[in-house]
Amino acid sequence: MAPVGSSSGSPVRVLITGAAGQIAYSLIPLVAKGEVFGQQQEVILHLLDIQPMLGVLNGVVMEISDCAFPLLRDVVATADVEAAFKDIDYAFLVGAMPRREGMERKDLLRANVGIFKVQGGALDKLAKKDVKVLVVGNPANTNALICSKYAPSIPKENITAMTRLDQNRALAQIADHVKSQVQNVRKLIIWGNHSNTQFPDARFVEVQKDNSWSSITKIQHDEKFLKEQLIPIVQKRGAEVIAARKLSSAMSAAQAAADHMRDWFHGTKKDDWISMAVVSKGEYGVPQGLVFSFPVTVENRQWKIVPDLPIDDFAREKIQITTKELEEERQEAQAATESQ
Amino acid sequence: MLGVLNGVVMEISDCAFPLLRDVVATADVEAAFKDIDYAFLVGAMPRREGMERKDLLRANVGIFKVQGGALDKLAKKDVKVLVVGNPANTNALICSKYAPSIPKENITAMTRLDQNRALAQIADHVKSQVQNVRKLIIWGNHSNTQFPDARFVEVQKDNSWSSITKIQHDEKFLKEQLIPIVQKRGAEVIAARKLSSAMSAAQAAADHMRDWFHGTKKDDWISMAVVSKGEYGVPQGLVFSFPVTVENRQWKIVPDLPIDDFAREKIQITTKELEEERQEAQAATESQ
Repeated sequence: MAPVGSSSGSPVRVLITGAAGQIAYSLIPLVAKGEVFGQQQEVILHLLDIQPMLGVLNGVVMEISDCAFPLLRDVVATADVEAAFKDIDYAFLVGAMPRREGMERKDLLRANVGIFKVQGGALDKLAKKDVKVLVVGNPANTNALICSKYAPSIPKENITAMTRLDQNRALAQIADHVKSQVQNVRKLIIWGNHSNTQFPDARFVEVQKDNSWSSITKIQHDEKFLKEQLIPIVQKRGAEVIAARKLSSAMSAAQAAADHMRDWFHGTKKDDWISMAVVSKGEYGVPQGLVFSFPVTVENRQWKIVPDLPIDDFAREKIQITTKELEEERQEAQAATESQ
Repeated sequence: MLGVLNGVVMEISDCAFPLLRDVVATADVEAAFKDIDYAFLVGAMPRREGMERKDLLRANVGIFKVQGGALDKLAKKDVKVLVVGNPANTNALICSKYAPSIPKENITAMTRLDQNRALAQIADHVKSQVQNVRKLIIWGNHSNTQFPDARFVEVQKDNSWSSITKIQHDEKFLKEQLIPIVQKRGAEVIAARKLSSAMSAAQAAADHMRDWFHGTKKDDWISMAVVSKGEYGVPQGLVFSFPVTVENRQWKIVPDLPIDDFAREKIQITTKELEEERQEAQAATESQ
């Protein structure tokens, strides 16, 4: 893989699963235009979807050609897992079993265990050993955990899940609340599961005014808004978008996936944190091995959890709720893997 | 569509774009066109089953008459407009007719998608990449009478550009196969996706406006459908796709390109279609 800042060098192979779907439709141009890996890095796209979607996927491939992307060296479009995962450097695992009417969480987990068991195995057998993986398909955290379990030769820290959409949503809400712009707000943390138990934590948020950053506690703001309203707004935002569009978030999910991978590739900005769901080694009392969203900084393609943040009773309770949910998901997933 | 639009606005907020200062989402034309600097006129009446071209033109005349009037009354005087909604060229012509205070050269239509499609086909044909192919021209109407003209195409190999006629290529491919492939590509995508091209149409719209804003690369041409002043024998006032260069936010038609019999015939076919569309559009405006 070409080092950061090099001009061209060799192209990186980037896999997108669920490639015939809505999120991929917005994500593909972001990757192919250089918004994730930069304007100096050529890419080869691997696009995977299921057999029944191959006609639609072929239409997407035609459109990709019609976009005339200069950085896009080649496209591999397939329903064959082996061809899709071969030699990849990066993976966006967007495709997952969607929840259907009447489906229990147990059934959803079982179906997804099937998918991510196969994909974990493919990563283990075929991907480059330093492959970096972002799981978007829900339940993202637990899908990432399954994937990693079946990819023992891939470092656990290289298989992450996405909470960047929640982070972006929360930043936008706070910016609106303090009557500013998103680029003037930072250090919002998403703790835990990408679900409605997530904990958007605004205690350390900083706001920029007149070129100077200061804690949100020092500027005019509503503590009640940050503790009571922000949290449910962000937790329920996905459903709100579906109700309005009659479709899931795609544009914003694709942007968040691109942001997550871009920051993992290029590094985080000085004095800023981003949220990524990563494997816990016990930080902040989160059980080892869970894939849990933490505040991180990134340097040299490696994320590092922000250490020593004070956890008050309010935060402790919220973290416990989402931890409990993830532990239950892990148990159900284990049970499902044993029965497959 | 306001409910769906509201969902889009939510998603835009959720993207946390640093460059996006504000969003105005509305069904009110006046609010939408007020003080704009740039316009992508994507919305148009789509062709329905059984609809004749005459009906399609009539419906779109209604839309673009209103939008032309709004440009005239509300937009900044140097507004730059790209019409994407089909029939793009004639919609741009109508729009301009009802925006007399906006310079005609500022109201353009999109053939960039056809250009990008053709470049990709040629790159594939010469076993290279799109960035190594340039100077493909789309002449005429954004319809299946368009003329993708590969006679001046240059290909880059080992950091050196040369005419496609000098490298291994298939003249038959460029004259006989490329043209119908590009003309029919839209339908091909619909057949596969069950939906019109969106990603590639959006990319082309972005490319057209970006190049109009930043200028074209040295020694390269792009295709834009712009108002004719009679260049290459194209009747004055038609909105016709020409090869252009752009500098200082102004496009300039590439002059003095030789037009042989083959090209002359193709240009005439697409010109005739645009003249007929113009007549039908005039008739529709008179009856509204």
